[in-house]
Amino acid sequence: MTTSTDLRAELRGFGWQPLGRRAPAIDGLDLDVRPGERILLAGPSGAGKSTIIHALAGVLGGALPGEMSGAVRVDGQIGLVLQNPGAAVVADRIGRDVAFGPENSGIAREEIWRRVAEALELVGLPYPVDRPTSALSGGELQRLALAGVLALRPSMLLLDEPTSMLDAGNADRVRTAVADVVASTGASLVVVDHRIGPWLDLVHRVVVLDAGGRIVHDVDPDTCRARLTEDLGRAGVWMPGLPAPEPADVPAALVAPESPAPRLDVRDLGVDLVARRMRGAAPIVALDEVSTEVLPGQLSVFTGASGAGKSTLLAALAGLVRPDRGGIGGTPVPLHRMKSPELARTVGWVPQNPEHGFLTTSVRQEITRTGLKLGTGVAVEEILEVLGLGSLAEANPYRLSGGEQRRVALAAALAHRPGALMLDEPTVGQDRRTWAAITGWMRAAARAGATAGASTHDQALIEIADRETRLDQGRVR
Amino acid sequence: MARDAAFRYRTIDFVTVAMLGVAIGVAFWGWAQLYQVLSTLSAFAFPPSSGLFGGAWLLGGVIGGLVVRKPGAALLTEVVAASVEALLGNSWGLSTVISGTIQGFGVELVLAVFLWKRFGPLVAALAAAVAAAFESFYEWQVYYTDWALPYQLAHLGFFVVSGVVIAGFGGWALVRGLAATGALDAFGAGREHHERTAV
Amino acid sequence: MNGVLGRANPLVLVAVGLLALVASLGVRSLLTAVITTGVYVLALALMLPSRSGHPLRFATVVLGGVSVAYSTWLLGGGHLDVAATAGLRIAVLALPGVAVAPLIEPMALADQLGQRLRLPHRFVVSFAAALQRFEQLGQTWQHLSRARRSRGFGPGRGPVSRGRHAASVTFGLLVTTMREATSASIAMDARGFARARRRTWAEPAPWTATDTAVLLVGVLLAAVPYAVGLFSGA
Ligand SMILES: Nc1ncnc2c1ncn2[C@@H]1O[C@H](COP(=O)(O)OP(=O)(O)OP(=O)(O)O)[C@@H](O)[C@H]1O
Ligand SMILES: Nc1ncnc2c1ncn2[C@@H]1O[C@H](COP(=O)(O)OP(=O)(O)OP(=O)(O)O)[C@@H](O)[C@H]1O
Ligand SMILES: [Mg+2]
Ligand SMILES: [Mg+2]
Repeated sequence: MTTSTDLRAELRGFGWQPLGRRAPAIDGLDLDVRPGERILLAGPSGAGKSTIIHALAGVLGGALPGEMSGAVRVDGQIGLVLQNPGAAVVADRIGRDVAFGPENSGIAREEIWRRVAEALELVGLPYPVDRPTSALSGGELQRLALAGVLALRPSMLLLDEPTSMLDAGNADRVRTAVADVVASTGASLVVVDHRIGPWLDLVHRVVVLDAGGRIVHDVDPDTCRARLTEDLGRAGVWMPGLPAPEPADVPAALVAPESPAPRLDVRDLGVDLVARRMRGAAPIVALDEVSTEVLPGQLSVFTGASGAGKSTLLAALAGLVRPDRGGIGGTPVPLHRMKSPELARTVGWVPQNPEHGFLTTSVRQEITRTGLKLGTGVAVEEILEVLGLGSLAEANPYRLSGGEQRRVALAAALAHRPGALMLDEPTVGQDRRTWAAITGWMRAAARAGATAGASTHDQALIEIADRETRLDQGRVR
Repeated sequence: MARDAAFRYRTIDFVTVAMLGVAIGVAFWGWAQLYQVLSTLSAFAFPPSSGLFGGAWLLGGVIGGLVVRKPGAALLTEVVAASVEALLGNSWGLSTVISGTIQGFGVELVLAVFLWKRFGPLVAALAAAVAAAFESFYEWQVYYTDWALPYQLAHLGFFVVSGVVIAGFGGWALVRGLAATGALDAFGAGREHHERTAV
Repeated sequence: MNGVLGRANPLVLVAVGLLALVASLGVRSLLTAVITTGVYVLALALMLPSRSGHPLRFATVVLGGVSVAYSTWLLGGGHLDVAATAGLRIAVLALPGVAVAPLIEPMALADQLGQRLRLPHRFVVSFAAALQRFEQLGQTWQHLSRARRSRGFGPGRGPVSRGRHAASVTFGLLVTTMREATSASIAMDARGFARARRRTWAEPAPWTATDTAVLLVGVLLAAVPYAVGLFSGA
């Protein structure tokens, strides 16, 4: 039995009803974190994992409005790393960014820079402190965010899906950094992840939520591995040793292309991008001499490290980027010259950041929007059902969990059944069930004749693909 | 006392003022390119009519004030926006910052008269009208010193109309639209939206 | 003297730009206008570093001056000297600011505002944090506009359609900005921003003898039209 003095944090009968929702997302939840304890938090998409992290960080109610019930008590210095590491950057140079926390604590200048060096060393960012933060890849940004909280010497680390957008190598690097830090500082840790395998050796407890935000398991990692693999798998958790789920059977009527599926023929494609700084501009060769084919009736995936050019290639295949060299054949008019409605009929595109795709303020409107414009009927109810969004039809797409947003963005871009589909990292942040729904959608569309493409670093998705194109620094490897 | 708490800035208020200011400043910078053409054309048609294109410059203050609803928010947002526009480089140099201060001050003044408690379309329109008048007076002093008075007054009239329509009613509608997306939930405008749409 | 503005404190650059207003208010006759403009052009030519922004930016100042001169001629009684004075007054107002704006480093400016002018740190630091998102704004704009195009709501060829599209993307940009403000403020508060009482600064905000000298030159430049007015008895 613990007394409340040797707790790092406790939630007692904690409940949270976000503003604009009729039912609480979480109700009557109890959770303790002891000093030095490391907890892995898992559960289906929309269960309330991010909400719990926010509660422990003490940010509910202010920037995130809603009604809280029960008691939340947290001791000591918190180190919060949000799911999107870009959100945490406050300065133009990495050293200055890491220094932000110590500056706020009123620490003297020499001590600040000692801490900055120490924190950068801990997370393994080997760059000089004056490197621009804009010149970092996704994985490096994630480590920068971690360094930023480590410089505060936190007694509790809160990490929300810290590796979800990373390729395997970078994900490993971030996890190793976290392990080193908790080992050397003795900080307690609460980490949220759908893929629990790589964390099991590090944590002391695995806490699993169900879809209603209740704790259904609270066990040590060994028990979890030995006896709960099947159980947790059914609850949506990606368990080590459990094969990936079979993609769901999505009815062909929902996905069969309304327009001819193009055979996209990429020849010597080159794309230059310009990053506009406040002072000057930096041109970047995003793609160079890329040649490949994306065929109807197949699921093609584009892989490669962060910054390799996957998103750029996908946008080019969706007719959204004008080629600077070479081109993409296979359509009567080159994709990038099509008029917008014609392009919408030909290709559906899901952006890497789902929020960038939203046009309306309800999930239902979002899904029917393009269909209405083009005069194509959309079976909203069935689509909501397939993607596990049934209860969210009237919700605001901007006010959903990370995984829910991604599924809405997918439905919004594809509901009108275009000939080709181009999806940017479609399976990020999905539990096993929603993963099966998304991959099922892509596979069913391909079987119905559509040209399906996706960028990804998700090994399970790569395995069910018909064809993989690997990019490395803007070139096909 | 309760008033004090309501007017105290939270981190999100500062960050919102700054980020809105930067985003609007970039938009101003884009608009400046077009404005340059329009105002030159209008100068050769009927010079005072350039005031008709000025209303957009007041949007920063109106949006900042209506979103954050705290003393100083309108002024600060407009000043940040004008500074960013100047830093990016326009044809008025740092005098843009002076204009921004004058315009932001005009909006702030009206919000202050209503004790930062009223943020409806009429208040927004009045705030924009006062800001437009201030800016027009300023331009009389440095740009149009030697115009005959009727023309100066015509410039004032055009500017006020443009301000009321674009920045006043337009800015108010924009903030209402933002509230409907759920992006203003941490602010008064967002909470009001949920009260209106609650079922 | 050569290129000294390139080494000057951002506060001094801002002061030089703002003092131009004082100068322009002192321009009351053609003589003061010509002399003040001449002195400013000469001083800036001496003090600007060789590579500092696009030279084309000065063309827009000329354009502005010409259109004000024309309108003054048209609406101010048709006096050529009055019109020319009005045009040059605008040049005096805008020229120094247009010249120094590309030399101002936003981050260094924020450091100076916080440490030397002691403006409230919560505002200054938020401003600095917002500025470094500038690059992201351009990319967000691109993504929003791509999403609209791929969903059938892209712009057509006409200017009206393009204008409407730009308005819709700008609105999307504001929505994104507000949402990022929320997550940024959460991340900043998690690093102790709201609780900061005695904040320290990782970088110094230096002030050198050069800065004092340049500031003095700026003040002298702004005094030119008044001095000329005094001596010419105008
Ligand atoms: N900003 C918001 N406004 C209103 N409701 C929200 C908001 N964010 C999330 N929700 C709702 O609260 C519930 C819990 O969301 P939360 O983000 O905690 O889920 P999660 O477990 O982190 O899911 P994911 O794995 O998809 O990120 C969900 O039903 C979601 O729709
Ligand atoms: N809008 C843009 N403007 C300028 N440069 C860009 C833009 N978008 C991406 N880049 C740069 O182009 C390169 C390729 O980027 P891209 O987004 O295609 O990579 P990616 O493989 O999708 O990476 P990730 O896995 O991180 O999403 C990177 O160096 C990136 O920094
Ligand atoms: Mg989440
Ligand atoms: Mg990408």
